[in-house]
Amino acid sequence: MERAFTPLEPLLPTGNLKYCLVVLNQPLGTRFRHLWEKALFRACADGGANHLYDLTEGDRERFLPEFISGDFDSIRPEVREYYTEKVKPTRFCTEVLVHAIALSDCLGWEGCDLISTADQDHTDFTKCLKVLQRKIEEKELQVDVIVTLGGLGGRFDQIMASVNTLFQATHITPVPIIIIQEESLIYLLQPGKHRLRVDTGMEGSWCGLIPVGQHCSQVTTTGLKWNLTNDVLAFGTLVSTSNTYDGSGVVTVETDRPLLWTMAIKS
Amino acid sequence: MERAFTPLEPLLPTALFRACADGGANHLYDLTEGDRERFLPEFISGDFDSIRPEVREYYTEKVKPTRFCTEVLVHAIALSDCLGWEGCDLISTADQDHTDFTKCLKVLQRKIEEKELQVDVIVTLGGLGGRFDQIMASVNTLFQATHITPVPIIIIQEESLIYLLQPGKHRLRVDTGMEGSWCGLIPVGQHCSQVTTTGLKWNLTNDVLAFGTLVSTSNTYDGSGVVTVETDRPLLWTMAIKS
Repeated sequence: MERAFTPLEPLLPTGNLKYCLVVLNQPLGTRFRHLWEKALFRACADGGANHLYDLTEGDRERFLPEFISGDFDSIRPEVREYYTEKVKPTRFCTEVLVHAIALSDCLGWEGCDLISTADQDHTDFTKCLKVLQRKIEEKELQVDVIVTLGGLGGRFDQIMASVNTLFQATHITPVPIIIIQEESLIYLLQPGKHRLRVDTGMEGSWCGLIPVGQHCSQVTTTGLKWNLTNDVLAFGTLVSTSNTYDGSGVVTVETDRPLLWTMAIKS
Repeated sequence: MERAFTPLEPLLPTALFRACADGGANHLYDLTEGDRERFLPEFISGDFDSIRPEVREYYTEKVKPTRFCTEVLVHAIALSDCLGWEGCDLISTADQDHTDFTKCLKVLQRKIEEKELQVDVIVTLGGLGGRFDQIMASVNTLFQATHITPVPIIIIQEESLIYLLQPGKHRLRVDTGMEGSWCGLIPVGQHCSQVTTTGLKWNLTNDVLAFGTLVSTSNTYDGSGVVTVETDRPLLWTMAIKS
């Protein structure tokens, strides 16, 4: 059974793709407005709201997220105040405990969790995904993909935390998640066979396969310039970077362990 | 047996030897405008698909002490002596399994041996930003470096530093005054089944670190000025540099 996916589909100017947008605490690029407008649902994780606020100056009312979640140690006071006043449709959700989501209904605030606690094992991004999944279920939304802006630049530990969230996401939501920042995209391939369409016209030149979490003993690909055939991918042995395409417009990857796909977005 | 190391010690002066990997020369050239003669690297290596023509021309003219080394094949380093150019390898080939950074380290290690330099650490500027695949390639070079040089290597960019801890015990001094607030332990490449630390706000005791299970990020210090880490597998240490 092969999983088919077109990583850059959300960036196409037209189409019916149903996606949710998550904004993390990194500078927003030029694609932001277009991605925002076509999204089904939009959320900010903590300091992501600062970037949204700054970039939409003069036009902020057209760019109100459905919720802003996090521990609020990054969001600026004036930004928090601005979005708090715009209560409908923005909801604030403070830190969400894994096992306490049900409490929000008792608190009477539609869709929000207001439990404040220092949960050091989960980042703002991870917690935002939990809230997002809950809302997807409540509203019975049909969602094809979750597009995350930011997370691949700045502090190195936070880049790694973004990658880790992709690993954790399999227990949070069945919806595929891509993370985009500047010219890079990452997407975690679960064990099995994958068929990636790379012919949207938005693809840049490079791509790669990164065995971030563990060795992959059996990786086979087609569609790349340097393909693998039952090869080992492992840090210290072989990591596929600066790879590119063979022109067929399709990449297939078969892997025995989770493997991170990364690719360039044309600027 | 414990390995002692002070990650931020190099941020105090001064370098013994300086090299650029390909496009690194562009950044050096741009940043040192008006004063370039004081900032000549001992060599520039790579496949030269990133260095700008005017930059390459500038440093070529300053032949002493700069040497240009085109792509270095793993098994062909010895050929340079036959070519008669002191310390340089001039074999041009597309080696897609090794990045400019990895190849630069090989040339650097050879020069360290030739000149019998006593080197405490190799400081790498850049490699932690920009293209995601290249960030991962930088991390991979740290894994490969154990077979290239015995000298510890740190990579620094903006406020981040990374350093690969080999299996065993490590004692990191974090009291140089240059430390920022955050730090972390990232099990890149494999699960670490037994990790024990001291000196962190959130320590580990024979714990598992693994992507999907636990990755230590946004950690910080307990104020003692020392962090110890014991690990059964290679584990990436990362920390903030005060801006």
